[in-house]
Amino acid sequence: MKFSSSVFEVKNLCLLRNKQDVLKNVSFTIFKGDYIALIGPNGGGKSTLVKTLLKLISATSGTIKILGQNQSKFNAWDKIGYVPQRASLLDDNFPASVLDVVKMGLIVKNKHKLFFNSSFNHLLDDAMKKMNVLHLKDRQIGELSGGQRQRVMIARALVSKPEVLILDEPNTGVDAKHQKDFYVLLKKLNKDEKITIIFITHDIGVIADDIDGVMFINSTLRVSKTPTKDLSCNIFSKVYGFDAHMLTHRGKHV
Amino acid sequence: MFEYDFMIYAFLSGIMIAILSSMSGAFIVLKRYSLLSETLAHSSLVGVAVGILLGLNPYWSSIVFAIIAAWLIEFIRVEFKIYSDAILAIFLSGSLALAVIIVSLADSFNNSLFSYLFGSILSVSEDDLIVMLVFSFFALGTLLFIHKELYFISYDEELAKASGLNVKFYNYLLVSIVAIVIALSIQIVGSLLIGALMVIPTISSLRLKKGLYGTLIFALLFSIISVIVGISLSYYMSVPSGASIVVVLIIIFIGTLFKK
Ligand SMILES: Nc1ncnc2c1ncn2[C@@H]1O[C@H](COP(=O)(O)OP(=O)(O)OP(=O)(O)O)[C@@H](O)[C@H]1O
Ligand SMILES: [Mg+2]
Repeated sequence: MKFSSSVFEVKNLCLLRNKQDVLKNVSFTIFKGDYIALIGPNGGGKSTLVKTLLKLISATSGTIKILGQNQSKFNAWDKIGYVPQRASLLDDNFPASVLDVVKMGLIVKNKHKLFFNSSFNHLLDDAMKKMNVLHLKDRQIGELSGGQRQRVMIARALVSKPEVLILDEPNTGVDAKHQKDFYVLLKKLNKDEKITIIFITHDIGVIADDIDGVMFINSTLRVSKTPTKDLSCNIFSKVYGFDAHMLTHRGKHV
Repeated sequence: MFEYDFMIYAFLSGIMIAILSSMSGAFIVLKRYSLLSETLAHSSLVGVAVGILLGLNPYWSSIVFAIIAAWLIEFIRVEFKIYSDAILAIFLSGSLALAVIIVSLADSFNNSLFSYLFGSILSVSEDDLIVMLVFSFFALGTLLFIHKELYFISYDEELAKASGLNVKFYNYLLVSIVAIVIALSIQIVGSLLIGALMVIPTISSLRLKKGLYGTLIFALLFSIISVIVGISLSYYMSVPSGASIVVVLIIIFIGTLFKK
């Protein structure tokens, strides 16, 4: 048992879109320091769940608490780093260098300022170093490869020193070597910097040893805290098939 | 040509419009929303028509109509999730239709409206100049203070929202500034041509791949050059100023196409 406070506390979350249940009665709690993999079939509602947490989509019913506060009152969004699913598919012509993009992660902290506070410069360098994109600093984002762009987007999410990092399939387009480095890095962020990580992915096998829990979603949610044990072919077929409905309330993540 | 007051006014107001339209236009272009300027130019034409019909100063009525149109467009785009190019197309032809109906009802399709279509440097008065100066001050100040936020929103609206920016507020603020810039400009550049002044400088400077500030500075440069050269051409060749400004802009744009 961990006696830590919750990062996300979600109760009976429902979301209807075009009269379809995209999220159905989803409840879970994610605690500080957790490293959670969010998996499920295409269209299962992973991205939607995350966007609902981030208030990009409003839920039909249910409650969401973020860092102990009701979502409607929560405003410390710089504590949550988000890397959206299509982050690497942005417009090639947009006039932004890698540095410009990473700086965007600090705009909320520099609101309505003519210039960036130069005391933030070390944060920028740190984040770029961490994601191994410092040498690309002055390159235009549109000239980078998909995987490089993805790393820049993660650097952008990390630059504001978030307590939580939400990654929506960040490893699509990242080659095998960089993927491995990437997983090592995530584990490091989680263990050393105590950043809570929610990681949407399709290949969970690789990180099974690192994570604290798995959430399977196919409009309804099933939570497990013993990933390695549960990651049998049996469960996979269930998750990626139709039937992930049975809600087993075990462990801390319910 | 500077022996005439009206030429001095024309240059001064032209340069102010060049600055305003290129700076506000840059963010419209980055948001891939270029057609907004074209559309609002036609909406301000409705304002001009109403102004002429009711005997009001077309200056103010065009500002009011442009802002109303800008807010309506933004509202419908966000709340009904209609493609932004489609909603702009609807407003563009709708405004033009409305303007034509109003002027034909008033039986006043006269030179005065014609000058708003293509622009007329002769029409700038000292009062207009003062209004423009005051507004330029506020508009540029606002843009300066929110340019980083607008930049982020143009890059990725959803990400900006997730970072806690009040995206709606900034979007409404930007379209309001654009609406006023356009309403102030159509007298000089003309409603059919102001779109070019808002969009082409940024499109051309984007070709140079200089990052945000480089893009803004070159857009500024291109639009000021085109206004100065365009108004001079218009003076010496007796052609409408708006048209000659746009021709210069197009030449600059073609020039940037050759940059690899
Ligand atoms: N804008 C939208 N309007 C209506 N329905 C939507 C919208 N976006 C997604 N959906 C629906 O919501 C469901 C969940 O989609 P979501 O993108 O969350 O899936 P996902 O689990 O992230 O899938 P993937 O693995 O493909 O990324 C799908 O059935 C989809 O059709
Ligand atoms: Mg998804």
